[in-house]
Amino acid sequence: MSEIYQPANEVEIAQYVYDCYQASRPIEISTLNTKPIGRSIQCSQTLDLRKNSGIMEYAPEELYIKVKAGTPLLEILEALKKNKQTLGFEPVNLGYLYSGKSNFGSVAGTVSCNLSGPRRFKVGALRDHLLGFTAINGKGESIQSGGTVVKNVTGYDLSKLLAGSYGTLSVLTEVILKVTPEPEHSETLIIHGLSFENASKIFSQVLKTSLEVSGACYYPSNNIKFLRLNDVKNTASVTALRIEGPKQSVNERIQNLQKIFSEYNDQTVLEVYQSNLFWKITANLECFSNSPNLIAKISLPPSVTSKFVSTFAEDPILRINNKYFLDWAGGLVWIEIDNADPSFLILEKMKKFCIEHGGHITVVKADLNYRRTGLFISSNDENIKILSAKVKNSFDPKSILNPGKIYAGI
Amino acid sequence: MSLFMPEPDQQTLAKASSIISQLRKISKNVLSEEEEKAVYETDGLSVHRQRPIAVVLPENTEEVSKVLKYCYENNIKVVPRGAGTGLSGGALPLKDCVLVGLGKFNKILETDFENRCVVTQPGVTNLAITGAVQHEGFYYAPDPSSQLACSIGGNISTNAGGVHSLKYGVTTNNVLGVEMVLIDGTIIRLGGKNLDPEGYDLLGIITGSEGLLGVITEITVRILKKPQSVRAVLIGFNTNDDAGNCVADIISSGIIPAGMEIMDKPLIIATDNFAKAGYPRDVEVLLIVELDGTETEVNTLINKVLDIANKNKASYNRASESEEERLRFWKGRKAAFTALGVISPDYICMDGSIPRKKLGDVLNKIASLSKKYGLGVANCFHAGDGNLHPLIMFDSNNPKELKKAESFGADILKYCVKVGGVLSGEHGIGIEKRDLMCEMFNNDDIQQQLNLKKAFDEKNLLNPGKVFPILHRCAEEGRVHIHKGKTRFPNLPRF
Repeated sequence: MSEIYQPANEVEIAQYVYDCYQASRPIEISTLNTKPIGRSIQCSQTLDLRKNSGIMEYAPEELYIKVKAGTPLLEILEALKKNKQTLGFEPVNLGYLYSGKSNFGSVAGTVSCNLSGPRRFKVGALRDHLLGFTAINGKGESIQSGGTVVKNVTGYDLSKLLAGSYGTLSVLTEVILKVTPEPEHSETLIIHGLSFENASKIFSQVLKTSLEVSGACYYPSNNIKFLRLNDVKNTASVTALRIEGPKQSVNERIQNLQKIFSEYNDQTVLEVYQSNLFWKITANLECFSNSPNLIAKISLPPSVTSKFVSTFAEDPILRINNKYFLDWAGGLVWIEIDNADPSFLILEKMKKFCIEHGGHITVVKADLNYRRTGLFISSNDENIKILSAKVKNSFDPKSILNPGKIYAGI
Repeated sequence: MSLFMPEPDQQTLAKASSIISQLRKISKNVLSEEEEKAVYETDGLSVHRQRPIAVVLPENTEEVSKVLKYCYENNIKVVPRGAGTGLSGGALPLKDCVLVGLGKFNKILETDFENRCVVTQPGVTNLAITGAVQHEGFYYAPDPSSQLACSIGGNISTNAGGVHSLKYGVTTNNVLGVEMVLIDGTIIRLGGKNLDPEGYDLLGIITGSEGLLGVITEITVRILKKPQSVRAVLIGFNTNDDAGNCVADIISSGIIPAGMEIMDKPLIIATDNFAKAGYPRDVEVLLIVELDGTETEVNTLINKVLDIANKNKASYNRASESEEERLRFWKGRKAAFTALGVISPDYICMDGSIPRKKLGDVLNKIASLSKKYGLGVANCFHAGDGNLHPLIMFDSNNPKELKKAESFGADILKYCVKVGGVLSGEHGIGIEKRDLMCEMFNNDDIQQQLNLKKAFDEKNLLNPGKVFPILHRCAEEGRVHIHKGKTRFPNLPRF
């Protein structure tokens, strides 16, 4: 049984990591301890950051918020909401995936995973919204980088490296995030009954216009039952295009979209309430709520997504019928892979496809068995692996912070 | 002008002719004559000059790889160079280095509208990328003022911004992938045409690393569709504080303009004389706000901005009524550096970033420092993102003035850090602000960055002497804090 330590502040965290460094004792870092993401690791010690929590500085007019790293993300979102602000990258609420109910977790966990929601293709990823941080490296030293300003080339941009490092480089203690104004208004055009090929064409076409679509996703007909919205049919596939901005401009652009895609006449416009709900459900991955199966995220150049889907998700000849949906205007596929095939042959084929087509696949949820032995990320580039090991070493020379969480042996 | 740089390696200097002949076996473009090398002896920070052992202009990635491998095996320093327009001396050669110029990497390799990206070689200019895609209504968003001349590779090394970065981000937010060569000759690819590379975000760390981690040989950037409608508004104020408050109020109201720039009176006059931009000459501060989107959206936002301006005692306003007029508004601002060259023999351009609410405060501080040093200053700011470019005027024929100008600049940057800002927003640290890093970071912070450098370049051969303070120099200038008898940077290697 792992021993859990809950330090209350940065000094205690630094002392704890320093002691572990001296004793070469590996630590599993956890905040709200809810999301078993990444490779399974076994440590005798667990560092739980939940007590190092609270909003430190929030300056709405400066468009940033500085918080202690153990702060629940929900607390941050609620504080921002009071000032009609939000986190532009639409944080992914992984609670549904893991436990069937909302749980954003902590800001440290969110930053460490660098997962971004539907607006990502327009406004950038979480890593683009992380302005700075303070953290404790693997030697127990407090390091800081970045600041509260958006433009900054003062030394290496370590924020980029810490985002998505799954706690393997340093223990975050403070985080500074860029905040953005909430869109004044939002509506969504839904087109029913399209094939994934046609949806992909629509995504490509719409991004060649100046209509500034800020959400573009596709649910096939076998993956829409969970969409319990009055204006969305749950019998045919759903292609959704979101428009945000001042009300009048949103109305104009929605009308424009309807005109451009008038050949597809089964259309519905979701008004603001349903529109917001639709994208929340999408960002929360609610279609995979409590799934017992393996869930993977595939990032591809949008032009090859159709080929991926026809190969792995909707092949009538092979009768492949994996539940999936497309996000980021076709640049992202979320897919469920049946645990019935314990060797995950199809996963291997997907990895091969991704590597050949300039993309990658990340296993976001899997059972313990898979997490012990399977690959978490798909990169097989030896040079990158060597460089990544050196980078890890530069922060955490004794490899005590979440060792092996991303790569075995690093 | 003397500049403390890493001690040249005598052994390397002694075998210069053999190095040149070895390099000639790798590349047919090796420059070793003094007059040939003279072109490469400085960059946009022209007060410092140094000729390298040789300049190599490789033609492909393999050549870059072979040059670096040769240098790595023979412990020869390497300084990479793009177009040489950088303002912080990041491409200044060292006496005992081989300068690797990427000028022959000047082709756009692919314009991919399906995936909304461009694959290009690093020597292509920033503006040429937009040039290659504008026939389809696309553009590349980051637009540094030097975009006609600066290379996209150089943009990555300094994480270049521009007047539109407030809404569309800086280089790091617009780069999808790179091919690069590590100092030992290893060629790696990071990212590509898809989003959010897995594993450590090495692409994110390369961007803004000022040529210290590798040599970039290919770049994939994302391109955006041009907005339907774009208009700019000129707003004049009588005080710095009113202008600063107006900027803060615009942002607080939930508007993110495409660009928001401030110029002070000396620059208003200089740029208006130079570019005939039609600026009001009886205001102390001029704010240019650009709004984009659909026509209705832009018109609504312009009215909101004008309301806010009036509440902040604006004394002048004019919204562009045509595309021609909008471009004229920008012509003055974009020519700021050139226009100043007409009225002052020399100037140095600073690049601090500060919290927006401190704009008025910092402008006032700069004015008082200007009096203290007896040197003129003109200010242009990317006000929306708090990035300031005070231009300190001096005459390099008077050696005392350069020293004074540098101290003036350092004082401005220290003040930026004091009010919660940073040393550089988009020009990079280079050699110019290297010794001020002690103002922002403590020993552990700097040591962590140096350790990361080692992960990429263990022998410290790539662009040494840049970005990080040299201990000796810090101590000389009295900036090293002595705490309990220990120096603040006990572990800094002395290179």
